[in-house]
Amino acid sequence: MKRTVTLIFTLMLSLLMAASAMAGGPPPKDLLKGYFTEVNEAARTVQFEKEGSETLTTFHLNQEMAVEDIKLNKKVMVTLDKHAGRPNVIGDVSIMFMDLPLSKIGYLIIIGLIGGLLSGFIGSGGAFVMTPAMMTLGAPGAIAVASNMCHKFPKAMVGAFKRYKYGQVDIKLGLVMAVTAIIGVEVGIQMQKYILNTWGNAGSNLYVSLVFVCVLVVVGLIVARDAYKLSKGGGEAKTGKLALALMKINIPPMMEFKVAKVRISFWITVPIGVLTGMLAATIAVGGFIGVPGMIYVIGASAMVASATELVVAFIMGCYGSVQWAISGLVDIRMTLLILSGSLIGVQLGALGTTYVKDHIIKIVMASVMLIVAVSRGAKVPGYLADVGLMNPLEPQVTAMLNSVSFWALIVALASAGGLITFFMIKGMIQARREEKQSVLETAHG
Amino acid sequence: MSTQNKAIKKKPVMAMLLFGCVSLTAYFYLMTHQGLVTETFTKGGWYAAFPILAAFAFSFIHGAFASNLLSVFGIEAKK
Repeated sequence: MKRTVTLIFTLMLSLLMAASAMAGGPPPKDLLKGYFTEVNEAARTVQFEKEGSETLTTFHLNQEMAVEDIKLNKKVMVTLDKHAGRPNVIGDVSIMFMDLPLSKIGYLIIIGLIGGLLSGFIGSGGAFVMTPAMMTLGAPGAIAVASNMCHKFPKAMVGAFKRYKYGQVDIKLGLVMAVTAIIGVEVGIQMQKYILNTWGNAGSNLYVSLVFVCVLVVVGLIVARDAYKLSKGGGEAKTGKLALALMKINIPPMMEFKVAKVRISFWITVPIGVLTGMLAATIAVGGFIGVPGMIYVIGASAMVASATELVVAFIMGCYGSVQWAISGLVDIRMTLLILSGSLIGVQLGALGTTYVKDHIIKIVMASVMLIVAVSRGAKVPGYLADVGLMNPLEPQVTAMLNSVSFWALIVALASAGGLITFFMIKGMIQARREEKQSVLETAHG
Repeated sequence: MSTQNKAIKKKPVMAMLLFGCVSLTAYFYLMTHQGLVTETFTKGGWYAAFPILAAFAFSFIHGAFASNLLSVFGIEAKK
């Protein structure tokens, strides 16, 4: 056991080091950070001071930009327009740090609280709504992704620790999954790059959305069907037929996962881990394949799978955060504000699992997955039109689809929060009643 | 027996207040020094240690506060 863990750790550390040495991580490389010091309205040029360098560079504004878009002495991110036909033309500018009035602070804390609750209960989630939520508040995309990533690993760490105390975490399974997931992340990033280079931004958006919708609908329906069957059969979960068949395959090295009560070939765990990583790199929610994979392919219970996913999320979150932080894109204010809510939520969600049966976790997971699929599905027509596979959409239709997409995320988060709270309170009331009854029985007996 | 029960059920009010105060002070400092903090934390390179360590530190302090808060409210895992 010790030897396996050491081996996994060494492999993981070497992978981490190799990946950072190559610096081929997900953060965008063509971003320039710095300050505008002067604007020349007549010539439509600006003086830009790059962070860490005192020399000024002159940039030209592209035709779509207004001079008012340039804010002096505020830290900005600049992307140059590569197709402008001449050098140093600005393609896009965004202010790195938005102002945070009390209303935005409150919004971030509440979103964090519900996201944490979901994460503590089903092992993943929250991330799919955090990034769009931060972007709605006005954060640039790259900052939102980085800040979300940096809040994910401490949250997962606290959640994993709590659930470890309840005896639900299989650390060995978590480590094996995380190592293979990191490989999957790298594969996912390379695939994304290939698609981006071949079909451009619109193609990449379409690919991400289609993967999102297909995976969530298929896996969501499998989990929902299983949860329905379990709830009719009294809620006692059995190991699935597929997992039982796979356990019989005897290709060394065979691994024994004591908490998950599973003995399975290492090679069966590899595709689950790699797919988790690929999905994490593509749609930022690897857990939506990791947890069902651990349940239906490896044969762990929903309780152990969702708890173990937190270990995977912690390691992958750490790996991602270091890369984004090296690029200097983490808005620590947003990270810590979300964390202030999510650290309460994740502990509440984790202890909530001790009051419910296995199928309740599956019900919550399936509901979230299917509603989130609707959210992303609403974006597909727009992307199909972008790549020319459909006629362009009317502006009203685009606006309506965008609002369906956004509100579906809010509904997913709210319904998950509601379901978890409901089942948790129900379980607590039942536990208290049972406790009272046993006290009475002892007193009378 | 009753003393033992009381000791077990004693709520961690002091710990909650202590961690709560430290956490609140840290958040207060963060929000009143936004410019300095965001500037330093986004320099990139080795400065990446700042956001990572801050996230760890806050998760310990605020996490301990959250854990004690839930215990004080009587919300605990099923035994």
